Amino acid sequence: MSLHDLGAMPDPGKGLLDLLKEACDRLELECGAYAGFNHIDNSVHIAVSYPDAWKEHYQRNNLHEQDPAMLHAQRSQAPVSWSRLVDDPLYDRLFSAAADFGIPETGVTIPVRGPYGDKGLLSGTRKMSSEAWHKHLFRILPSMQVEAALLHDCVMQQGVVMRAINAPSLSLREIEMLQWSAAGKTQGDIADILSISSRTVEVHMRSARNKLGSMTTAQAVARAVGMGIIYPM
Amino acid sequence: MILVIDAINRKHHTRLLEEMFRLRARVFAGRLGWDVEVSNGMEFDEFDMQDPIYLLGLDDADNVVSCVRLLQTTGPHMLSDVFSDILQGDPPLRAPTVWEATRFCVDTERLGMEHRGKGSVARATSELMSAIFDYARGCGILDIIGVVDPVMNRVLIRSDNAPYDYLGKTVQMGKTKAMAALMDCTQDRIDRVRAFAGIDYDVMVDEAALLQRLAARPVTASSLTEPLAQYLIDQIDAAQDPAELATTLALIDHVLEDQPQAGADPVAPQKESLGSA
Repeated sequence: MSLHDLGAMPDPGKGLLDLLKEACDRLELECGAYAGFNHIDNSVHIAVSYPDAWKEHYQRNNLHEQDPAMLHAQRSQAPVSWSRLVDDPLYDRLFSAAADFGIPETGVTIPVRGPYGDKGLLSGTRKMSSEAWHKHLFRILPSMQVEAALLHDCVMQQGVVMRAINAPSLSLREIEMLQWSAAGKTQGDIADILSISSRTVEVHMRSARNKLGSMTTAQAVARAVGMGIIYPM
Repeated sequence: MILVIDAINRKHHTRLLEEMFRLRARVFAGRLGWDVEVSNGMEFDEFDMQDPIYLLGLDDADNVVSCVRLLQTTGPHMLSDVFSDILQGDPPLRAPTVWEATRFCVDTERLGMEHRGKGSVARATSELMSAIFDYARGCGILDIIGVVDPVMNRVLIRSDNAPYDYLGKTVQMGKTKAMAALMDCTQDRIDRVRAFAGIDYDVMVDEAALLQRLAARPVTASSLTEPLAQYLIDQIDAAQDPAELATTLALIDHVLEDQPQAGADPVAPQKESLGSA
């Protein structure tokens, strides 16, 4: 497999590094990395916001083949907190090298599985005490799961073929929620109208936002209108 | 006590996972009569090859008495690929903060022999449920879709853990029905489940101590000598008709009962490993 640095690519990948940096800012992480594995065209896509010196060292030495966080997270559906990797023989070598470049050991890698066997990994790190890091991690994990899925979808939508097979397929419930939102109804209103719990509205909305690659409901409604999934009101 | 197995600690727990696959075979192929594939006495499907997360409930002798499998809903999962009947052809929900819980089961046979209290079915169910919500919450997950049968659904409702809604419809699956229940991973729900079952301790097992106990277990197969095992296998192979085979299996049962018990393992796994040899 070949490594593509999407951040360095002129056109299609342009913006991904910015998206990654923005995501890291929102999550209050110092730097992060995204790696996407597309099994349909067998490529690896990377965007990294680590310091350039570490990036070069990492690429030159093909460290992705010896990076315990990358290797374990690819075989995992659960988030991989780096502190759980200390028993891995590869851990000391990678992290002692990383320390020379100022990369801390307080980090996490979130694996994302896509519907076609595609995989994505979003890593993030921030220099702080182990205790403070775990508190921070617990607070950001729900948002980080969402950011990881959005970045992954953004990469997997590249190319005509991938765009076609990844066309959003919304359930009737999800379309119903978006249509009521377009009509100006709040989550509580929709729950009352449909006689369902507010939590049910929320869980379908979250899925709809994810399928439409949106951070907010307003963005999801705009996209759904644009795609002709719901009517403008 | 609950053990979480993911990509990182999986290599240490192959034996417990094997026990879990045997429990799943007994429950899903046996008791519930679902159309699942069983080989060598173990139930295993394509989703087990997707690196899922397993939560295992262990009794005081470290036997697997309950289990569940967690999958991301953004990737391949059972509601999208297998239980699509439940959704009546509607596309599945896909959200990074929602996980799917499947193959949820409790060993009612083993636990049924004990009295109410710590080892009871209700307690084992509540321990596992609270562990699912607690663990998932720690991974940034907000909701769980649980594919359950109506009996399990009733257990959930009666143990102050009622789903807040259901997806799609309840459909027939083998001898029983299957439904998709929505449950939030909130501290409130965890507290309710724990309070109902009287769980006032950390349900997660001390993994380091567990590994030490497991390492100290004698290897069960050693209780059957090599020549005797080979003789029994030859007898199975030589059986000409079902009656002869039944006689041979009865002989094996008899021989195994006379064998000295090694460790805390039940006899059943020995029989199964012998039969599959």
